[in-house]
Amino acid sequence: MKKMMALLLASMMLLAACSSGNSGKTDGNGGTTGGDKGNEATKVTVWAWDANFNVKAMNLAKEAYAKDHSDVNVEIVENAQNDIVQRLNTGLSSGTTKGLPNIVLIEDYRAQSFMQAYPDAFYPITKNFKASDFAEYKLGPTSVNGENYGLPFDSGVAGVYVRTDYLEQAGYKVEDLQDITWNDYIEIGKKVKETTGKDWISLDPNDMGIIRMMIQSAGSWYLTADGKSADLAGNVALKEAFEVYKNMMDANIVKIHSDWSQYVANYNNGSVASVPTGNWFTASITAAEDQKGKWAIVPFPKLAGNAKSVHASNLGGSSWYVLNVDGKEKAAEFLGATFGSNVDLYQKLITDVGAIGTYKPAAEGEAYKAPNEFFGGQNIVSDFSKWTAEIPNVNYGMHTYAVEDIIVVEMQNYLNGKSIDQVLTDAQKQADAQIK
Amino acid sequence: MNIKSKTNVVSWSFISIAVLMICVFYFYPMVQALILSFKSGTGTNLNFVGIDNYQRLLTDTTFLAALKNTFLYLIIQVPIMIILAMFISVLLNDKNLKLKGFFRTAIFLPAVTSLVAYSVIFKYLFGADGLINTALMNLHLITTPIQWITDPFWAKITIIIAITWRWTGYNMIFYLSALQNIDNSIYEAARIDGASSSRQFFSITVPLLKPIILFTSITSTIGTLQLFDEVMNITKGGPGNATMTLSQYIYNLSFKYTPDFGYAATVSYAIVILIVIFSILQFKLAGDKNG
Repeated sequence: MKKMMALLLASMMLLAACSSGNSGKTDGNGGTTGGDKGNEATKVTVWAWDANFNVKAMNLAKEAYAKDHSDVNVEIVENAQNDIVQRLNTGLSSGTTKGLPNIVLIEDYRAQSFMQAYPDAFYPITKNFKASDFAEYKLGPTSVNGENYGLPFDSGVAGVYVRTDYLEQAGYKVEDLQDITWNDYIEIGKKVKETTGKDWISLDPNDMGIIRMMIQSAGSWYLTADGKSADLAGNVALKEAFEVYKNMMDANIVKIHSDWSQYVANYNNGSVASVPTGNWFTASITAAEDQKGKWAIVPFPKLAGNAKSVHASNLGGSSWYVLNVDGKEKAAEFLGATFGSNVDLYQKLITDVGAIGTYKPAAEGEAYKAPNEFFGGQNIVSDFSKWTAEIPNVNYGMHTYAVEDIIVVEMQNYLNGKSIDQVLTDAQKQADAQIK
Repeated sequence: MNIKSKTNVVSWSFISIAVLMICVFYFYPMVQALILSFKSGTGTNLNFVGIDNYQRLLTDTTFLAALKNTFLYLIIQVPIMIILAMFISVLLNDKNLKLKGFFRTAIFLPAVTSLVAYSVIFKYLFGADGLINTALMNLHLITTPIQWITDPFWAKITIIIAITWRWTGYNMIFYLSALQNIDNSIYEAARIDGASSSRQFFSITVPLLKPIILFTSITSTIGTLQLFDEVMNITKGGPGNATMTLSQYIYNLSFKYTPDFGYAATVSYAIVILIVIFSILQFKLAGDKNG
């Protein structure tokens, strides 16, 4: 009996301690946010992933800004994308913004999920830059209710990187691939495989990036236009994309990889001949210097059966967001003055980082018009910019990755012989149960 | 009475620190998680939904697939590992064995490697162009590379091989220490009675190891139900959800998708319930009230 009493007492004390701790936290919430107050130099912390791309780009912005703003000290912290997502989620959901940065890079597919799950956590930056100067398709994912929360950064504009030497052996020229459908793409792939013995494309069964690109080229997505519910059963673009995917698998032109380094290796060691992907893949292609002059980039293929499908799509791409913590005004100003309006910075991004932005005025600059020797003198940046303007604007909604995981499973079922309509109906059912 | 109650106060005050700590860092979060499991929504916008989350579990195909995979690992991997650990420990306990220390260290060594580090190495070993495939091809045992990571069947095998490699040595140590506590005279008496060594193993070693068998199978069961690092790093749950485990599903619900911490808490409570059921079951099967 006594033991019970003591235990009860202990737990009561504990509960009291916990509840008082809670109220203390909420009270102090406004005051304990990041950033040094009253200091002469304001510190702006930035989180980004990929040292050779995003971090490098941010460093260029920092240099450009430091010239005439000595009062702002920008600190860039490199984190893996998964870690950033995880830390933002834990930080924002715990209700304390301590330890969170001022500026954070978020992938466009995830942006709505963050902004709607944590409505007050982000700071609107509509007045810090001119949204109409940026590519149309970037504005949907980065804004909520007409307010811009994200400053559009890199373009995920897609194209197909092809090995011209393998193509020639198979009797094709780069010109033959300028206006093709996915069916043509597969036929060419078969021919290449036949003559050179090389696979045509490398795919990861867990990553439906290629499906996403195909359906976005037709202005369609996993979700309905309002981004709220799944649009799978009866989605004609998705149905055709599934069929193309299966045809590719059946044509025996696909090499399977299971992670990023295998993927890149398949191209760098010359065992696969084409890559439909985002322009940020350029750095990985050019890493194999012995293949200089053997690559070209052609427009993204169309879906043959879909009238809306165009030769342009997108894969990935991200934007900068300002968190609603102390120092947000300075952070927003910094973004506005650099990525929001600095044309010279965008030229440097091309020459130093290879990052293609979505800021339209930048396309007039010199760097955008320079030919690239690695790609046989092709003017790749201006090609990509041209395609960027044509990318259909779709709403990525809040649930792209949740639906993607369902699609991945159903794709396996489809490849194993389940009928396409059944596959999409089942996927729709699962997605409806998951998304509420 | 007075002295007695005084000592009581003193002893309770010693215990209270530990009790308080356990309450703050174990029971309080557990209760909070239980409350959370009745809520649903995105991020911080959580609302009470009653038992909706638990009903959703029953129809959630991803959850059911993850459950099925977890059971498969459990039913196949745990017995293999336990038997292997017991077998190796008996071999290593042989008095005539030379280089005993070396073998023990070698077999225990996997247990000290970091989960992530070994998972990454396994991923490369079992890659399509990895060492295992290359070796098998060169030995002409197979003609085309086995898709260890991207084929639904082989991916499961890869995970099972990986966790068996990592945890067998760990369990072996428990058996080894238990074996050393068995009085040698029992074996001597058995030998004098003319018992064969397999008879000795099944009639002496196994019964005397029973508490350890119970202990290792319970800890392994719990470990399997919480399996995360290996799957996350080797296959990411794929292909499809062929290797997805419950813990990874919780991770996906909280961090990969638009976060629904409420439903994630529900899935974690499903694991708690399973662990309790399995532990009770194993105690009952072992049939020994004292464990």
